[in-house]
Amino acid sequence: MSTAKLDQTVNTQVVQGVGHEEEEDHRMFGFIVFLLSESVIFLSFFAGYIVYKTNVTDWLPAGVEGLEVREPFINTVVLVSSSFVIYFAERYLHRDNLWGFRAFWLLTMAMGSFFLYGQAVEWMSLPFGFKSGVFGGTFYLLTGFHGLHVLTGVLLQSIMLARSFIPNNYAGGEYGVAATSLFWHFVDVIWIVLFILIYVWQ
Amino acid sequence: MSNASLEVTPPNLQPQPGAPDNWRRFFSFSTDHKVIGIQYIVIAFVFFLFGGLLAMIMRGELITPEADLVDRTVYNGLFTMHGTIMLFMWTFPMLNGLANYLVPLMIGARDMAFPRLNAAAFWLVPIFGVILTLSFFVPGGPSQSGWWAYPPVSLQNPTGNLINGQSLWLLAVALSGVSSIMGAVNIVTTIFRMRAPGMGWFKMPAFCWTVLSAQIIQLFGLPALTAGAVMLLLDLTVGTSFFEPSRGGDPILYQHFFWFYSHPAVYVIILPIFGIFSEVFPVYSRKPLFGYKIVVLSSLIITGLSGIVWVHHMFASGTPGWMRMLFMFTTMMISVPTGIKVFAWVATIWGGKLRLKTPMLFALGGLFMFLFAGITGIMLSSAPFDIHVNNTYFVVGHFHYVIYGAVVMGFYAAIYHWFPKMTGRMYYEGLGQLHFVLTFIGTNLNFLPMHPLGLQGMPRRVASYDPEFAFWNVLASLGGFLLGVSTLPFILNILSAWVRGEEAGDNPWRAIGLEWLVSSPPPHENFDEIPVVVSAPYGYGSNEPLVENNPTKELASEHS
Amino acid sequence: MNRRTILVLVGLAIADLFISVWVGQQAYHWMPPQASAESVLVDNLFSFMTTIGSFIFLGVVGALLYAILFQRAAKYDASDGPPIEGNIPLEVVWTAIPILLVIWIGTFSYQTYDRMSILGPMEHKAMGMSMAEAAPVASPEAEQSPINVYARQWAWEFHYPAQNIRSTELHLPVNQRAKLLLSSEDVLHGFFVPAFRVKQDVVPGQEIGFEFTPIREGRYRLRDSEYSGTYFAANQTNVVVESAEDYEQWLTTVASLPPTPAQNVAYEEFNRTTTQNPIGLGWKTVKPAPAPIVNYASSEDDFHE
Ligand code: HEA
Ligand code: HEA
Ligand code: CUA
Ligand SMILES: [Cu+2]
Repeated sequence: MSTAKLDQTVNTQVVQGVGHEEEEDHRMFGFIVFLLSESVIFLSFFAGYIVYKTNVTDWLPAGVEGLEVREPFINTVVLVSSSFVIYFAERYLHRDNLWGFRAFWLLTMAMGSFFLYGQAVEWMSLPFGFKSGVFGGTFYLLTGFHGLHVLTGVLLQSIMLARSFIPNNYAGGEYGVAATSLFWHFVDVIWIVLFILIYVWQ
Repeated sequence: MSNASLEVTPPNLQPQPGAPDNWRRFFSFSTDHKVIGIQYIVIAFVFFLFGGLLAMIMRGELITPEADLVDRTVYNGLFTMHGTIMLFMWTFPMLNGLANYLVPLMIGARDMAFPRLNAAAFWLVPIFGVILTLSFFVPGGPSQSGWWAYPPVSLQNPTGNLINGQSLWLLAVALSGVSSIMGAVNIVTTIFRMRAPGMGWFKMPAFCWTVLSAQIIQLFGLPALTAGAVMLLLDLTVGTSFFEPSRGGDPILYQHFFWFYSHPAVYVIILPIFGIFSEVFPVYSRKPLFGYKIVVLSSLIITGLSGIVWVHHMFASGTPGWMRMLFMFTTMMISVPTGIKVFAWVATIWGGKLRLKTPMLFALGGLFMFLFAGITGIMLSSAPFDIHVNNTYFVVGHFHYVIYGAVVMGFYAAIYHWFPKMTGRMYYEGLGQLHFVLTFIGTNLNFLPMHPLGLQGMPRRVASYDPEFAFWNVLASLGGFLLGVSTLPFILNILSAWVRGEEAGDNPWRAIGLEWLVSSPPPHENFDEIPVVVSAPYGYGSNEPLVENNPTKELASEHS
Repeated sequence: MNRRTILVLVGLAIADLFISVWVGQQAYHWMPPQASAESVLVDNLFSFMTTIGSFIFLGVVGALLYAILFQRAAKYDASDGPPIEGNIPLEVVWTAIPILLVIWIGTFSYQTYDRMSILGPMEHKAMGMSMAEAAPVASPEAEQSPINVYARQWAWEFHYPAQNIRSTELHLPVNQRAKLLLSSEDVLHGFFVPAFRVKQDVVPGQEIGFEFTPIREGRYRLRDSEYSGTYFAANQTNVVVESAEDYEQWLTTVASLPPTPAQNVAYEEFNRTTTQNPIGLGWKTVKPAPAPIVNYASSEDDFHE
């Protein structure tokens, strides 16, 4: 047997071999570490926003009065409620009620998509763009970067939904579902801060 | 392929990561932490040579006052790429290499927590290395805005192309950040979750503590740099105005983003070196690490402090007085936990039975130069003095003393010390000592003259300078060339020892530590049986067993 | 510890102290001439830190060298050293000493800073209100409007608003508080005169008030200290400190001179098309601003200290 082949065998052995149950645990731990780190990116953007907002003299671009709060508020309510909905989905999964899980899971996805749609509509209607001074820049940077996370969340959710149709896949609880749901809560909390910074503090 | 085929293979035919006879695995997407470790170390060293080559051209330019050897734009590109390559392509990958190789062995794990993530993080390194190297060949040349990439200079883009040195630079730095975050998540998880039974936090080797502290810094620091880099990239390519003062932006905010990470980054680099010192001194003095607990805890204190000192790089940037004073005091506080370590090492060595093997020589030399650099660092942290020497060669002297004097010397110490473990072979002691002597003289000759230059007011990042600075610059250049020469005995030593050096045995230094209980090079998956740790890591002189079982039972019987 | 060891230790500490104080005195000679009131303060601080630094450095290195020379294992000695794992009182002492030293160095630095009271940009509204203690003479002229300093890629230009004079050399009267208003037209630059020990980044989009007091006549180098692109290294000029009479004389003479383009290294080098470097490689650069048009143009060949 050639060494190269042997290498391969050994490699697969490492990946699938000993102690795989441990690794499930590691993954959640690792994911939390990652999220903590990622939150610092948002914190940095927030800090930047606050510095600009308090220092820049012509903050709003010419002709812009301020931001409309009503629609974004509805959006916020929907996104924040989806955090509760996804929680119920998880509860159903724990009770091995797959259809209940799928229903609530799908509802979460719908609410997330509604949020994205609402944000797209808002973007279209705004009288300023990415390049309209630091206000325009930070506004689109923050909402856009967050929107990207919502989109990622919805995509992850659809993967998890699809995987729920593989028989017995979710029998022993599923890391992917738990991680996605954690991610979703994370995205929600970020949004609340963001909403307060951009829309409430004008 | 089935499990059966593995069982019939005699253990001594099992691939031993580290031995050159199956060198092909080093070019594969291997998930073995030992292979990945060596991959990191080798690629990092290649880039070290590249970055050093650029430095030697710079020293060639600086040997005369006029800008004569290379064009000014080329000189500016050279120091930008030199700094970037040395930090992002040499120190970080080198550290990840050592951490990858050593941490699982030292904590008694079979591999890292996420082997595939590990491999992916590694393979990003050559990718962004190539991007960075290729930026020499785009029109307009590589980035010429220094490794800080301060706007507005970094936004000027004289060629007007979308693909230019600066945007490639940003891309490479971003990828490096992604790779480092992946590595950090992996290492932190491994240390938290995969320590062998019995290995409580205070039975963990100091090196693992320092690696943990360093990786925590990566986790909270890098995202800030990423945020700043994203905004800079948008300014450069899309036309936003975050940092463009002519359109309402704030260039100083970028500096805060940059240094919020890049100051702690220097501790990412030095902390594992502290770890290496803490491993090497006990072995070659035959004494336990003095004050182990406080030494390892001081790493965490340094980690904490490192996040609240960054403005000391911006004392002259237009920083208000209260900020200057505040950050002056926080910076000075760093000398307390660092001093604890330094004194503990001296006490470790004191009264021991010293053996001046190559690793010990490098560690001692490194400690010597770290002390010097730390003292100039404290001087720099004093705002009124720093205002005079900021952006002069005094700063360049300070950080090369740490980064070459302590970090590179520390790396050499680590390579020599663990080389027998990694390869199963012994390096040549005579060549090693020659390497040490050349490096030690070269480093001091190169970087000591930079201090008087800086005090006299010679700015850094200049291709030409006033003639009164010529004398010290000639000395520095000679030292630089000597450092270039000093790498040759090292390369010769390592290559020839790897191929045909003497068999080293499992534990040539009679060192204590889990990695020394297994064969050299360690077998696949490291331990047959996960060791059960029963004593503290540095039991020199007290004759206690480190583990209660024999983690290499089967191998030991069938092997040798 | 017996009495002898203690005596030896005390003796060594005193020797270390003496050497360190001596090294600290040498530190003054490593600096450029002391041409401003601030430089005296900074040099004292530097000398003080050099003394403390030498003391620590020599102490630690001395101990290391002793161990290296006299505590080596014999060739075939494979035994271990004593298994000492720590010593709490000792560890407390060497935590306390750096803390005390840090407080000392920090206080000294703070006082120095306070007395220099270099005005940062945030305080520029308060300009002229706080006279630094370092200013030995406070004369009515000090109430004059500040000299405008313009930094650009890659030239310095000084504008005296009262006389409406432009110059590429900065002239200042000795023993009077110099007041400048720094501004940049393109990127970051840095105003740096080593002989004055003062430095301030010039930030585009801001006007930064900056003060110091020259105390020694002579011609000194003024350098750009914040990397500003291709010709950064060449962005230097001189500052002339002269007696009040000479200064007035200079102002009146120059006021009568017609504006002419000054010598400018960056602009000239840029317009010399060929690269004469052995490695005949060069990349596209930002075009330098044309040489400033000034009443008084300095020359690169002028002698400076
Ligand atoms: C691994 C790298 C490394 C390390 C470990 C350090 C360590 C320190 N550095 Fe350094 N530094 C750099 C790398 C590093 N630095 C780099 C790369 C730059 C320049 C970047 C650039 O501009 O491009 C820089 C620049 C830099 C500046 C900015 C200068 C300027 O631009 O104007 C300052 C200012 O405060 C500073 C301070 C310090 C201090 C206080 C420490 C301290 O951590 C040192 C602490 C150690 C000791 C003090 C010695 C041991 C202690 C004792 C024996 C106890 C008793 C001692 C006392 C009480 C004094 N450094
Ligand atoms: C780990 C970090 C690291 C290391 C190891 C070094 C190593 C060296 N550095 Fe530096 N340096 C930096 C990090 C580092 N540097 C940084 C961050 C900056 C700031 C950049 C900025 O301002 O933006 C800087 C800036 C800097 C400057 C200031 C430039 C300026 O401001 O104008 C100088 C000047 O002398 C210099 C010199 C050197 C020299 C001579 C070495 C020597 O030690 C190198 C020794 C040489 C070798 C080790 C190479 C050996 C090669 C061969 C023998 C050829 C074989 C080649 C092949 C096979 C390809 N460096
Ligand atoms: Cu698979 Cu741990
Ligand atoms: Cu720093």
